[in-house]
Order: sequence, then C-alpha cells, then structure tokens
Amino acid sequence: MADLKAQIIEQLNLHEVAPESIGDDQPLFSKEGLGLDSIDALELIVLLQQHYNIRIANPEEGPKIFQSVRTMAEYITANQTIKA
Amino acid sequence: MNIYINGTGCISPQNTAQGGPLLAAPREYEQVRLATVDPDYKQWIDVKQIRRMSRVVKMGVAAANLSLETAGITLPDAIITGTAYGCLDDTGVFLTKMVNQQEEMLTPTAFIQSTHNTVAGQIALLLGCNGYNNTFVHRGFSFENALLDAIMILKEGTAKHILAGGMDEITNYSHQVLSRFGIYKKAPVKTMELLNSPDTGTIAGEGAAFFALGVTSAPGTAATLTGVSTLYKPLWEGEVIGHIMKFLEDHHCTPADIDLLVTGRNGDIDQDEMYEEVAAALFPDHAEASFKHLCGEYPTAAAFGLWMANAIIAEQAVPEAAVFYGHAPKKINRILLYNHHQGTHHSFVLLTAC
Repeated sequence: MADLKAQIIEQLNLHEVAPESIGDDQPLFSKEGLGLDSIDALELIVLLQQHYNIRIANPEEGPKIFQSVRTMAEYITANQTIKA
Repeated sequence: MNIYINGTGCISPQNTAQGGPLLAAPREYEQVRLATVDPDYKQWIDVKQIRRMSRVVKMGVAAANLSLETAGITLPDAIITGTAYGCLDDTGVFLTKMVNQQEEMLTPTAFIQSTHNTVAGQIALLLGCNGYNNTFVHRGFSFENALLDAIMILKEGTAKHILAGGMDEITNYSHQVLSRFGIYKKAPVKTMELLNSPDTGTIAGEGAAFFALGVTSAPGTAATLTGVSTLYKPLWEGEVIGHIMKFLEDHHCTPADIDLLVTGRNGDIDQDEMYEEVAAALFPDHAEASFKHLCGEYPTAAAFGLWMANAIIAEQAVPEAAVFYGHAPKKINRILLYNHHQGTHHSFVLLTAC
C-alpha cells in the first residue's frame, strides 16, 4: 500500500502530502479525507491502467473501488494481470 | 468617457509582486532566458487547486488578484485576457504523453489546463465571476486586443469594472524551438547592458500583468487609459511615424504633449532600429524609458510595459533602471508606450495622468 500511496501522490500532484500521512482507510473523496474530486477520479482510473493494467469495465464500481487506499489495493490484488 | 486604471498587478522577472517603489531593487541577470520571480502563490490560491496549475496559470491568477486588491474590487463584471502561447507547459505535458503512450491512457488534467483560456477561466472560477470571459490569442497583439475589447465594453456601458491582462510563459520546449529561429542572443548578456548590445537577438522573458479598468476612478488611481492602437506589418518606418501622428491627433495631442516615451527596445540591433527612427522623427528631445531588459521579450511583454508606465505616472518618477535616454520632466502627464514584437506587431498605448 505504501507504493500505491506514492503513486497516488505522483499522479495527482499531491507533493505536499506525505505517503505515511494518508491512512489506509481514510476516505479519498470526502472533505474529512483527501478531498479529491471528479478529475482526480479520472486520474486514478488512468493510474490503474498505467501501473496495473486494470481497466474498470463498470463505472458504477468506481465509488466502491476508490473509497480508500485499502479498497483500491484490494481491487488491484483481485484484478491485476501481468502487464504486456 | 475616461477609462481608469484603478489597479494593477504584475508577476515578472523583477520583484513586482511585493509592492513598494517601482524597481527599487532591480534584478540584474546575465542569461538569455529570464524567469519570473514567483511569490508565494498560496496566498491567493487554495493548496488543493494550486496542485493542478502550471506556472502561467499561477502567475496570471496572482497578477489578477493583485490588481483587484489595489483597485478594491472583489468581483469584476468581465475578465479579458491576452496570451500568445497559452498554457505551454501543460500543452507540452499532454502532447508528450500522447506520443509516449501511443494516444492511450491520457490524463485529463494536462488536457484541461492546456487551453489558452485556462487562466481567464481559473480566475473566474476562483472569483465566482459569471460575467463575460474572453481570451485573445493574436500573437503580438493578444494583450492589446484584450485591452481594446475592454475599452469597447466599458464604452458600451455593459460593464463598469473589467479585469484585463496579458501573460505568457517560457518552457524548455518553447525556448528550444524559438531559439532555432535566431530570436535570442547566442551568448548570455548582462540585462542592464542589453539595450546597448551591438548585435542581433534578444533575451527571452515571461510574465503576467493585469489591470482593473473602470469608468470611475478609485482612491489610488493614477492614470487613464486614453487610447490603444495597433499596426500590423508596416512597410517602412514612415508608416509607423504617420500612424503615431494620427493616433495622437485622434486623442487631441501632438508629440510635444508627450512627457515620456516608453519603448519596447529589446537589444536586437535590427529590431531596435525602428525605435531609433521613430524617436528621431517625432521625439528627438524626449526622455525615453524601456522595459524589455527588465522582463525579457515575449509576445505580451507590452503588458509589463503598461504596468511600468502606469507606475511611473503614479510615482511621477522614472526609475534609473528603466531610463534609456534623457530626463523626464518633473510633471509626467502623458506617456506614449510604443512596442513592437518581431517587427510585425506594432502597438501604441497612450496614458494620461488623472
């Protein structure tokens, strides 16, 4: 999950956020959490494609997948294929 | 009807964002590419929003905020910008990713931020301004056409306060490409010696300058924007001289009524020849100030020139770093700003003290 946090920071240009300051279960899209928005959601979709070769087939799954770093990591573990 | 310059803001290679006397401590460089002195942009932009902004967006938003602050305006009726190159940095990022990733998996941020009207859009979003919002992309006339649009709207009476500005940035890519055209000096030159340079080429620059324009004056207003005119590709210097005569006549004055000539000399011996011809023909005994050795050459550099000219009227003094020739009179009532970009885009701005 530490790698995933670093990738999120890089992809979203959150350079003022330390990876260790992002809690595993911290909400990504609420004000109490990282406060990300819809553009960030698109960036995270691209991140999954680029780094893990995962395409989200059903957009309705998005809120569940991107709830927290842990939910993202679980989705990656369950769906990751070897990158061509 | 008078158009008042009620507030100004400038981000440039000089310390123009921090306020205080004009060019009190000018920065001297010895290089062919000047970069802006960046203030702490977080004083105007939220941390979560700033992460998506490239330098030109940040400098534009900052200059816009500075001009509104000095004018005491929180919400203008319209926002009009001029930029020749737009958001080059994000354009470069987006195009590079297109190539490297075979047009797949492109991220939205660089695309969204790569359009020329991003700066005007971001200012509107941050201010919550739903009024007229326009960006002119007309190479060396981008800023001047933004000013002309603002003047026309104010004279039509559909707006009382307009935020108008010009900005451009340099990136490594753009500097490399422009260098191939032979626009810049081959070797570093001291900026305070640039205007006496004996060869061709100039130095690259960048920056943003914004103006809060209104039909009524504010407590700190120093000058009115009396007139703006442009001339494209004059065939010879006589055409420029004739244009200036007509421009001044249209505003009920002659060269004798001009107290200070501010020119866009850039240290390129070929391009500066036009300023020599114009000064010799119309303003032989006038004091002359210049600004491109302070901000560098870029298509909207006239915005820096206008910012400086307004500050000269406000302070009634020409800073030593800007003097090119002569001594300005004690009372600086009228300034003619004459700039040309690459010898093709000539512009004239007349300022009058309030």
